[in-house]
Amino acid sequence: MLSVSRHGLRVLFANILAIYRRELQSYFTAPFYYVIAGVFWLLSGLFFLVVMTTIINQVAQQDLLQQQFGAPSQAVDVPKLILESFLGLLGSISQVILPMLSMGLYTEERKRGTLELLATSPITNWCVATGKLLAVLTFYTTLLLPVGVYQFVALRQSTPPLSPWLILAGNGGLILLAAAILSLGMFLSSLTDSTILAAILGFAVLLILWVLDVLAKHTGGHLSDLLTYLSPLEHFTHLTRGIFRTSSLVVFGSYIFLGIFLTAQSIDAFRYQRN
Amino acid sequence: MIQVEHLTKVYGTTVALRDVSFSAATGEILGLLGPNGAGKTTTMRILAGYLPATSGTASIAGYEVHTDPMAVRQRIGYLPENPPLYPEMTVAGYLHFVARIKGVSAGDRPQRVEYALKSCGLWEQQRTIIRKLSKGYRQRVGIAQAIVHDPPAIILDEPTVGLDPRQIIEVRNLIKNLAGQHTVILSTHILAEVSMTCDRAVIINKGEVAGIGKLDELLQRLSSNYTYDLEVVGDRPQIESLLQHLPHLQQMTWHNGPAPGRQQLRVSSPTEIGADLANLLVQNGVQLFEMRRSRANLEEVFLKLTTDEPVAESSDEPEKAHA
Repeated sequence: MLSVSRHGLRVLFANILAIYRRELQSYFTAPFYYVIAGVFWLLSGLFFLVVMTTIINQVAQQDLLQQQFGAPSQAVDVPKLILESFLGLLGSISQVILPMLSMGLYTEERKRGTLELLATSPITNWCVATGKLLAVLTFYTTLLLPVGVYQFVALRQSTPPLSPWLILAGNGGLILLAAAILSLGMFLSSLTDSTILAAILGFAVLLILWVLDVLAKHTGGHLSDLLTYLSPLEHFTHLTRGIFRTSSLVVFGSYIFLGIFLTAQSIDAFRYQRN
Repeated sequence: MIQVEHLTKVYGTTVALRDVSFSAATGEILGLLGPNGAGKTTTMRILAGYLPATSGTASIAGYEVHTDPMAVRQRIGYLPENPPLYPEMTVAGYLHFVARIKGVSAGDRPQRVEYALKSCGLWEQQRTIIRKLSKGYRQRVGIAQAIVHDPPAIILDEPTVGLDPRQIIEVRNLIKNLAGQHTVILSTHILAEVSMTCDRAVIINKGEVAGIGKLDELLQRLSSNYTYDLEVVGDRPQIESLLQHLPHLQQMTWHNGPAPGRQQLRVSSPTEIGADLANLLVQNGVQLFEMRRSRANLEEVFLKLTTDEPVAESSDEPEKAHA
């Protein structure tokens, strides 16, 4: 592995690309994914309207109070507040949708027996897992695209306009969070040939991440620091606020790598235990 | 081309394969014959590099499957028991995908896919979604994916199972056409399949090799016994002592005959003793009412090799001699 030749590298990319394309094709032909997309777009559009009108109304009310009674007011960056709240909500919707996206990644291969084809082809488990993850992440990113467009359209209308970097960082954070969750979900789906079980396990992991996040906020000392550092949700929240840290990239990258690594291992182990 | 040496596979406490050794020469079609659960699929999965063996080695084109898995995977086409298909893809799309992950270069891919489509009789169906294909066609797509990258060794696990008689003939012809350029190993529990398509057979039972060789010879050798059924009237001890004079007599069993006083006797011998037997009995005053020679047919020998139970009465070549 240390001295991968250029040819070897090309084969590696070609293999990842082959898996990636096949996976992506399968999304286009499955009604399930259209339903997911429809629901996601409906909810996200609805939430965007609700968040925007609620926040604008609240701020307008505060302004009114201030004008009428001279109540002390705080300066509020309305577009930033809208973005932060909206991305938080998108994160919540995504947490419902992501386990459903990852549940079939390997269970389907196991059920159809195509895992046997992949396992007897000159392609490594790593390539298969990476290709699959990239494909499902592409699907998720496609879901975010129109949502991103109306964030841009609406929030750039404010005076002064919201920095495009804030929007990019927030949405990038969402994609990184999704990649981490999908990667772990992919590992879970490689453990079983029951799609439902894979989804349940996926939700269980999300619950654990959520508990981790709550503990991080409510415990003190070093443990809190450690949990805050490890919690992907915490890093996501930072990114929605426009706080960019290299440690966030490291943490998300570690989760993604862990998911791919465990998947490759579990597929190998699956062949050993099989009878 | 394919070398299997002392292969053993243990699942937990059950031994699936025990010291299995055989080999296949380049261009040969080798049949792996055995009842269900004999270890055929396990052997093929080990050969394909899908399962690791507990001990022993298997090599394809000089590469050992466990130590050099990638080299082996490039050189094999493998059709598992259930064809590994993506139902939402078109036939051609699927074959292009398989060609890609098998490492066929972009330039060669169109020709290779065309070759696989045509030789499996799928040219008309190339734009069809696999989900809409019948079982027979799916099986063909399964074979097409095993040959699309032109591998030197092709491993087919039960390639004709579940097909109708016409499809079976087509698939058998297809497999025969593959020989020469490819080395083919196929597994089956149907004896006729091996005798029709394979050059040589490995009979495998309960995880052990029961015989290797050309099928007819193999079964001839293993089925060397002649059995004679006689209906006589006479004194049992006297007849028994008479028959002791016959060379090569192996077995003697008595049954009560259909009519009172008559007795049925079955004797078996590795050589044809019919004439001597009849002479001996008649010359010594034993009344001989019926004598029939039978020799187990291939199916029966196969059954005998692969089951513990005694073979049912054979009647393949009944030759009746009434005295």
